[in-house]
Parts: sequence; structure tokens; C-alpha cells
Amino acid sequence: MKSIISVKNLTKIYERGSEKIHAVDGVNLEINQGDIVSVIGESGSGKTTLVNLIGCLDNPTSGELYLDGQQIFAQGVELSESKLTRIRSEFFGYVFQKFFLIPTLTVKENILLPSIFQSKVKTSEKELDEIMTLLGILKRKNHLPSELSGGEMQRVAIARALVGKPKILIADEPTGNLDSKRSQEIKDLLIKLNKEFGITIIMVTHSPELAKIGNRMIEIKDGKIS
Amino acid sequence: MKKILLTLFFLIGVQSNVFAAVGCDLNDPDRDVKRLFPTSTGYKTDYKSLDRMGGEETLKEVEAKLGDKFSGIYETIDVPYTVYTIFKGKEIIGYIHGINQKGKYGGLQVFLAFDPKGNVLDFYYQKLTSREAVQMRSKEFATQFKDLSFVDFKTYNPTTQANIPAQISKVENVDFYSTLRAVKKNLILMNIFVYDNQGE
Amino acid sequence: MNVFQLSYKNLFRRKVRTLFTIIGITLSTWVLVTLLGFNKGYENSLNDNIEGMGFQIVLTAKGCPYEAATLMLKGGTGLRYMPEEMVADVASRKEVAQATAQLMHVEFDPNKGENGGSVVYLGIDPTTFAEMKPYLEFTQGKWFEQQTGNVVVLGYEAAELEQREVGDLMLLSGSEAEYEVVGVLKRTGTQDDGMIFLPLQTAQKAFNKQNELTMLGIRLNKDVNQTAFEEELYKLPDVQVVSMAQVKNTIMGLVSSAKVIVLSIAFIAFIIAMFGVLNTVLMSVFERYQEIGILKSMGAMPKDIFKMILIETTILCSAGGLLGIGFSYLFSGISEVAIRYFLPFAPNGKLILIDSQIALFAFVSITLIGIVGGMYPAWRASKVRPLDSIRSE
Repeated sequence: MKSIISVKNLTKIYERGSEKIHAVDGVNLEINQGDIVSVIGESGSGKTTLVNLIGCLDNPTSGELYLDGQQIFAQGVELSESKLTRIRSEFFGYVFQKFFLIPTLTVKENILLPSIFQSKVKTSEKELDEIMTLLGILKRKNHLPSELSGGEMQRVAIARALVGKPKILIADEPTGNLDSKRSQEIKDLLIKLNKEFGITIIMVTHSPELAKIGNRMIEIKDGKIS
Repeated sequence: MKKILLTLFFLIGVQSNVFAAVGCDLNDPDRDVKRLFPTSTGYKTDYKSLDRMGGEETLKEVEAKLGDKFSGIYETIDVPYTVYTIFKGKEIIGYIHGINQKGKYGGLQVFLAFDPKGNVLDFYYQKLTSREAVQMRSKEFATQFKDLSFVDFKTYNPTTQANIPAQISKVENVDFYSTLRAVKKNLILMNIFVYDNQGE
Repeated sequence: MNVFQLSYKNLFRRKVRTLFTIIGITLSTWVLVTLLGFNKGYENSLNDNIEGMGFQIVLTAKGCPYEAATLMLKGGTGLRYMPEEMVADVASRKEVAQATAQLMHVEFDPNKGENGGSVVYLGIDPTTFAEMKPYLEFTQGKWFEQQTGNVVVLGYEAAELEQREVGDLMLLSGSEAEYEVVGVLKRTGTQDDGMIFLPLQTAQKAFNKQNELTMLGIRLNKDVNQTAFEEELYKLPDVQVVSMAQVKNTIMGLVSSAKVIVLSIAFIAFIIAMFGVLNTVLMSVFERYQEIGILKSMGAMPKDIFKMILIETTILCSAGGLLGIGFSYLFSGISEVAIRYFLPFAPNGKLILIDSQIALFAFVSITLIGIVGGMYPAWRASKVRPLDSIRSE
């Protein structure tokens, strides 16, 4: 299996007053294409920070990151926000605990949001329908978010993350806001996406149920893989 | 500076904003009301016009009763008529109503004061431009109109000048008949505006 | 879907807030357009009025105009006169293209009002006067043609008061004779409305002012040096020379200080509008902090977000601006009445003149002001990092 993510000695230090907090402390990690990686750990363990660094949502204090063999973070080089944006849209799709759907846009428009900002994203009506069918929200195409259930909203958010055809899906507590039935649906969906599109999934979760679907489970403690 | 400004006022003129047809108002309502109704405690001003009270139809009705046509550029359907309702406390003790009438040498403004039943209490010219008008302006002349009402003028014909009410003695003045026409018109209008066409 | 549509739809999230912001912008545009329109209209009307008088220079007896104006307003006597020979001499000078001599007379009329009032008569030369005051129109009849004779032309209100029409007779207080009405002027909104015009010589005879005149209105030949000519006139004994250019400058000088105040108000209204926009947009940015972060995680560049917020601002401002311009067109009549009520002197004609230039200027400037107000919120928004939106959960 080809390695898609390669993390070397990745460190993130936050300064809180005079105190230095090692949120991520020298992590080394290889993730292969098609992996489902569950990142678990207690609150404040640094799991979200690690995933944010991998997802290029933040610059590390030190360490290196390679995506698909391409060096992203090099020692001592901080990337600009626009550079990070470009990298993010090239590799990642994100799903968060909150859905952040735009209330004035329909389901379809929400899903197509990335296409406004990324010229490479050109989603045909057919592709869109396919994604929506896959996620079971086709009937909701022209509805407003306020008319949807929580599970449906998360599925719209996932569809939105998928239209950019990302190689990697970063999911931060994707079922955090859902009841167990809806969580099950999302769980099944993630498995399906991984199987059908070969998308690499990195997810942070508290839920042991969800964590179980990963072919790898990484537990973070005090900023380190334990 | 002041001089120049005033010159300008003088030359270009002060803007006047009143563009409606002219009505017939009391010159000094507070004082006039007190003079005609010494016991009054207040009054209310209403603006009536044939235009707003049935329009063309009412105009025809008034002309028929008057026995004469409305004529000229000033006696029109949109002329506002000012009716002063006089109060003593909450009780209505009378009305004052004046109308413009074309005279030989100028405009006449003939005012009548009424009791609540429609009888004339007082008559006076607010304006009269005429030669030798002393007789017309005399107290004797005005007194003749006292106690008359719409009914007394019903048969007076302003065109033929026939059927002058018996109480009124003729005065040799070019504006005598204009005055009678004005009084009749005043009575007719008041009968419509206030007295619900009584005596018809 | 594009950024524009996204921005547009964003405005519908908080309809009430959007509405109030638009109202704020509308009001300030309205104020601006109306004030600018007034600025232009007032000057134009004043020019027209002064041009319309047909006089460049008015020659009067010393101290006369002031008293005449007082007479008109308060009643009384005390007009002063110039000898006819002197006036004739001035009128015949080679610099003069046209001149019209007038005799003003004020008479107490015991029949006017409760305690009597003054009536103003103007003796005029029908040939020259009509030519120099071409804007006077008739409801009935026309100007008398003869220089003498017992004929009058009445201003509209004078005619209405006396219920006079062409062909009617009239008595003039101060004269024993009967006069025939030959013309009734249309309403002008000026003092001409209350005026009674009669032939100059008739007036001189009737009011016993033989060889006396009150005023001479003069129009000069083209290429005549007006200042030099005025200097020349000042050499005459006991005359006052009023130059219309000077009158206009004085008025404009007076008005210009008012204009400064007026434009400052417009400016303040603008600044308020700008902060209104800034506040509204900033609030909406703060509210959407996380959402903007998510948009960034979807590939939105800082410039995209900046653009999005700025488009929202522009839509707000241009909508408000257009409405404001519409309102000022629609209600310019009402504004005009209000201005006339408050201004001590307002010329005839349109006081508020809103043309495409003003409308365009107001639209562009309110939009620019709004954009300036939207800059900071847009910049703040563009700086939002996706991480912040996740962290602030």
C-alpha cells in the first residue's frame, strides 16, 4: 500500500502565558491510502490538534509533513494562509461535529459551495445526483437546512466535503451531535465511501463504536501516540 | 445688506404658497365672533365646498334654488366656504358664514350670523367697494335682515329682482341687488351645510 | 452559484437587520440627494428669477427700495421719487439697450381688511414693461396699449379679492375715476399677484405725481462695462443703483453659509451611514465566524471571503442608494414645501433640481462610503482561520 501521509517528528507548542503546552509532541506517523484511521484519546490529549496539523488547518511548531510524497511542512517554514488553502483544497475534505450549513442556501447549493471557491471543482448535475443518492439526500435536494434532521444535515456536510473529490477526508467528531441511530447511519456511510472511492479517512472520535470501523486506531496521550 | 435683501423681496416678491380658490374668512375671527356672539366661549371652523358635497349635482341644486347661474372665474365649484360654529360651553349658540359676491366696482363680502335654527341674527359687510355706500353700511339697513331665514328668500329672484322680501326696503345703490343675491346664496348654502335643507 | 449569489442570499438571513441598514442608507442618500438638488435648484431658480426680471440695473431714489419694501409689508407712506427728466436722460444713454420707468404708489384703502390696508399701484409704460417682464401671463385679457386712459391690469389675487374680470369697472382708492379692467394676470406666486397695474401717465395724474418716477429698470447693451456705467449713475443726485448681479452675489453669499451647514449635515449623515454599514457588516461577520472558517476549509481564499463580504456591503449600499434617490425624486415636492417654509427667501421655480448627475454622484458616493465601511469587516473576515472556527466550538 502506498503511503499518502507521512508525519515526521511533528510538534505543536502553544504558549499560554509563560507556560508552554506541547499539544502535539514529536509524533511520527505513516498513513496509507485507503486507510480508515480512528484517532482517540481523552479530552485535551492533543488528538484534534494532531488531526488539524495533518489536515493543514494549522502550521506546526516543528516537524515535517508529506502528502502523497510532496513535502508540505518543512522544518522552520511557516506556510501562508493562502498556501494552506490551496493545499487543503487539493487534498482534503472536512467534516466537523457541527454541520455549518448555510441556512439561506438549499441542500444542493450548500453541497456545491466548494465549487464557488475552487475552480478545479466542476461538479456535473449527474455527479451531484450520484453523491446525493449515495448519501440518501437526493429527495432533500431543494430543501433548506432548517427542514432537515440532524443526520441529514451531517450527510449534506459530508456531501459538501466530497464534491472536491478529496483524497483524504478529515472528520472531527462526525457523530458528536447525533443520536445513536443517526450515528450508525454516518458510520455505515463512512465505510461505504472508503470502500467505493478509496478515500482515506482520518477521524477523531470519542465513540468506541465509530472508532471500531478504523483499520488503524491511534490513541493520543499528552500529545504523543501511546 | 438689509437694503439689498429687501430690494430683492420687493422686486422678485415674497413667495406665496396659497394656490387654492379663495374663500371668505373672517378677518379677525376671535374678535368678530366675540362681537357677534358676546356670550360665546369658543368657536370651531369648518371648510365646506360644493366640490366635496356632491359636486356638480349640488351645484345645480344650489343654482336652481338661487334662480341664477354661478358665473365668472371666481364663483366656482371648488370655492371653499368657511362655516364658524359658535359655542357657549358645549352648547351651539349659532353660526357665522360669509360669501364673496361680485359687485359693481369690486368684491362684496357679506356675512350673516345665524341662531341654531337658521334665523339671521346679524348682517354685515366685511368688504364693500361702492360709491355712496353710507346707506348700505347703515345700522338700519343691516337690521332689516334680522330674523329672516331661508324661507323668506325662497321666492326672491336675483335675475329679475322680483319678490324682494317685504321686510327689506330698497336702497338706491348699484350693489343693492348684488347684496340680496349674496344673502340668498348665503342662506341656501347654510341650509345645505348646516340646517339639513329645512323649509324645503 | 457564484460568490455574488452567496452574498446576496446571506443578506436574507437577518431580514430585519438588513432592512434597517438599508433604511439607514436610504435616509442618508435621500438627505444627500435632496440637499444637492437644493443646492443646484436654488441657484438655478435665483438666476432664472433675476434674469426673468429683465433688469440688470435698477435705479431708484435714494432710500427708496427699503421703504417701498416696508410699505408693501407693513403699509404706510414715504416713497421717494426721481424727476422724470433725469430718468429720461438715463434711459436715453447709449449704453442702455432697454429701460422701463415705473411709478409705484401706495394708497390706504379703508375697505381692505377690518381696519383698511394698503393697496399698491404700479404705473408702467406698457410697451417697455411687458417686454422686460415676458414671464407675466394673463388669465384674461392683455396689457393695455395706451399710455393714458382709465384702464387697469390686475394681479391674480387683487382681481380675486375684488372679484374683477375683464370688462368690469373698478374704483381705486385715492382716485375718483372709474377704471376698466382690461387684463387679469395669472398667478405668479410673487408680489405681482397683489398688484394693480395702470398706465404710467394715468398713475401720475391720478395720484398727483406728475413728472415723478419711483424706479427705472435698465438692461444694458452687450459689451457695456456695467461697473463703469453704475459708477456713472452714482454721480446723479439722490439715486440708488442696485445691480442685479450684486443682489445675486449677496444672496448667494448668504446662501453659501447655509450651504456649508447643509452640506455638513449631509456629510454627517454619510458618516453615520458608513458606521451603520460597518456595524451591521461587522456583526454579521462575527456571527458567521465559524461559517467563514468552514468556507475557508472548503478552499475559499482570503480574497474570496473579502470579496463576499464586500459584495454584501455593496448590495446593501446600492439598494439603499437607489431607494434614497427614488425617494428624493418622489418627495422633492414635499421637501420643497418644507424648504420654502424654513427659508426666509426662496425664489420661484423648482427649488430642488435633481438631475442624473446628482443622482449618479450620490449613488456612487454612498456606495463608496458603504464599501469603505465594509472594508474593515471584510478584512476581519478574510483573516478568519478555519482552525479558529473549529476551536471556538
